[in-house]
Amino acid sequence: MTSPRRRILAAAIGLALTAVACGGDDEPTADSPSTGVSSDGDAPAGDGSLPGGSVFVSGSSTVEPISIRVGELAGELSGGDLDVVVEGPGTGDGFKKFCGGESDISGASRSIKDTEAETCASNGIEYVELEVAIDGLSVLTNPNNSAVDCVDIPTLYALLGPESEGFNNWSDAAALGAEVGAAGPFPDAELGVYGPGEESGTYDTFVEFAIEDLAAERVGEESIFTRADYSSSANDNFIIEGIAGSDTSLGWVGYSFFDANRDVLKALAVDAGDGCAAPSAETIADGSYGFSRSLYIYVNTGNAAENSALAAFVDLYLSDAGLATVADAGYVGLPADRIAATQAAWAGR
Amino acid sequence: MFTTPATAGEHAAASVRAGLTRQDRDVAGMAMLATLLFTTLVTLFILVALLAQVIGESSSLLGERGVDFVTSPIGSDPDKIGVWSGLYGSIFIGVFVVLVAIPLGLAAAIYLEEYANAKHRLTRLIMVNIRNLAGVPAVIYGVLGFILFTQWLEPVTNGQSVIAAGLTMALLVLPIVVITSMEAIRAVPGSLRDAGFGVGASRWEVTRDHVLPYAAPGILTGTVLSVARALGEAAPLIIIGAITGLLPETSLTGKFTAIPILIYQWTGRPKPPNSEFAFTESAAAAGLVLLVIVLVFNASAVLLRNRFEKSRVGS
Repeated sequence: MTSPRRRILAAAIGLALTAVACGGDDEPTADSPSTGVSSDGDAPAGDGSLPGGSVFVSGSSTVEPISIRVGELAGELSGGDLDVVVEGPGTGDGFKKFCGGESDISGASRSIKDTEAETCASNGIEYVELEVAIDGLSVLTNPNNSAVDCVDIPTLYALLGPESEGFNNWSDAAALGAEVGAAGPFPDAELGVYGPGEESGTYDTFVEFAIEDLAAERVGEESIFTRADYSSSANDNFIIEGIAGSDTSLGWVGYSFFDANRDVLKALAVDAGDGCAAPSAETIADGSYGFSRSLYIYVNTGNAAENSALAAFVDLYLSDAGLATVADAGYVGLPADRIAATQAAWAGR
Repeated sequence: MFTTPATAGEHAAASVRAGLTRQDRDVAGMAMLATLLFTTLVTLFILVALLAQVIGESSSLLGERGVDFVTSPIGSDPDKIGVWSGLYGSIFIGVFVVLVAIPLGLAAAIYLEEYANAKHRLTRLIMVNIRNLAGVPAVIYGVLGFILFTQWLEPVTNGQSVIAAGLTMALLVLPIVVITSMEAIRAVPGSLRDAGFGVGASRWEVTRDHVLPYAAPGILTGTVLSVARALGEAAPLIIIGAITGLLPETSLTGKFTAIPILIYQWTGRPKPPNSEFAFTESAAAAGLVLLVIVLVFNASAVLLRNRFEKSRVGS
C-alpha cells in the first residue's frame, strides 16, 4: 500500500463523516421548514394555537398531497407540537388500515365500498365521510395528434375496453366503435396506450367513467377492466413521458399531472353525454366536464372525540386555510355550497 | 495439449521460429484481452453514466439548498423538503445490520466451519438451507419481517418502527454474511490451525488468534456488501410500512421512513406548480445522500480491513 493512496482514502472518509456528523448536530433545527411555510403568507394565524398530539393519516395517494400540506400547516401553527404523519398506500389499503383501527383518517378517491363499511362496522369503527376536493381525470394524447380533439365514452371503450386487446392502430377500433355507437374519430395512426396500473385509484376511476357500463353489458360483470396490453406504470411521470414520446399516443392520468405538464400533452375533450367539454379548473368544478371525481377524507369519529389533536386537525383541514392547499396540490376546490355541506357533516358528527 | 519430453523440443523450436518471423500473434488470446477490456469499460461506463445522471440532476438543488436538504424533513414542497426523515431511518437500518446480522452471521459461520462436523447430515442440511435463503427475494423477507417484528414482537418494536425495519433488514442479509464469512474462514490454510494446535492451543484459541485475524479481510468484504444491500432495499420497507408523505418527528419506536422509499416516492410525484425544484431532483439528491452513507459504511470497513491485512500473520 502506498501512503498517498491511504491519505486520500482517509481524507475522503473524514469528509464524509463530517457531513454525517453535521447532519446529526442539526437535528434540533429540523423545524426549519416551519419558517419556510409561513412565507406562504396564509392567514390562519387567528385560529390560535393548536393542541399538541399526534394524528396518523393513511389512504389514497391522490389525497396524500392535500393531507401533507394541511399537516405541514398544523405543524407550523402548533409550533411543532401537533405531529401529523401522512402516508398514501392507496384507497383500498387505506380503508383496510382505517377499519382495522390503525389510522385516524383515511384519504379516499372514491366512496367507501359496502364490504369495507362492513369491516369498519364489525370492528366498531365509526366514521364520517368528508368531501374535500375534486379531481379531474384527463384523457391525453400528444400535442402533435391533430386528428383527435374530442372523444365520447363508446370511443374510449372501443380503444381501451376489454374487447380492444391487440389494437395497435386507432383504425383497428373502427369496427368495434361502429358496433357500440362511437362517434370516433379512428384515424389511421399508431395507437400506443399509457396509463396507471390496476392498483391505482385513477385506474378504478377511469374504468368507472369510461368502461364499466359498456363492458358489463357486452362482456359481462366479471370483465369490467381495460385492455391488458397497455404500458402501465405506478409512476405518473413515466406515463406522461410515454404519452409525450409518441405522436398518436393515448392515455389517462389525474388532472394535476396534466396541469403540471401542459407543454408536452394535449388533453382531449370528453363527451359524457352532454357534449364535448375539455378539462379545466372551471369545467371540473361546475361538473360540465364528465370525468371528474370527488376526493374524500374519512375521519374516525371515536378517535376524534378522545384525541383533541385529531379534532383540531380536521377543523384546520376544513378551514379556509386548509382547503386553500387543495389548489396547491393541483386539484380543484369545492364550490361554496359543497364546502358548507362538508363542514356541516363534520359539525354534526 | 500434452507436452511430453519428446515433443517439448519441437514446440520450443516452433515458438522461437514464430517469434523470429513475427508469426507469433496469439489471436485467440488477443481477442480475449479485447473482450475483457471491453466488458470492463462497459461496466465502468454504466457506473460513470449513472453517477453523472444523479449528480447532474441534483446539482442545482444541492447547490442552492446544501446542508438544508440533509437536515429538513419530508413534505410537500421540493424547495423546502429534505432527506432527514429518511436519513435517520437508513442510518439506523445500517446500524441494526452491523449490530445484529454481523455478530450472528459471523458466529454461525465460525460454528459451521470450525466446530460442526461438515460430514454430518444435519450440518449439510443447514448449509444448503442458508445458501437457499440467500436467494430468497427481498419482498418475502418483508412479509416475514412484517409478521415477525410488527405483529408478534410488537411489544419490543412498537409496530411499524425503525427497529422492526432494521431487524427485517438484518434477517435479509444474514445468509449473505454467513456465506461470505464461511468462505473467508475456509480459505485460511489448515497449516495455520495445525501450528496453533501443535503448541497446545484450544480450538477457541486457535479460532480467535489464528483463524479470525487471517479471515478478517474476507469477512469484512462480505459485511460491506451486506450493509450496502440493506441500505438500498426498498421492497421490504414498503411491506413493513414506511411512511411516504409527512413525518415531523423521527424516533426509534415511532413511524419511520428510509431513503430508498423516498427516492421511489419522489420519482413518481408531479412538480408542484409553484415550486422552483421538481420532486425528481429531490429524488436524485436523495440518491446522492444514500451513496454517501454507503460510502461511509464501506470506507470504515476498508480501513478496518487494511488494518487487519497489515497485522496478518506472516505478512
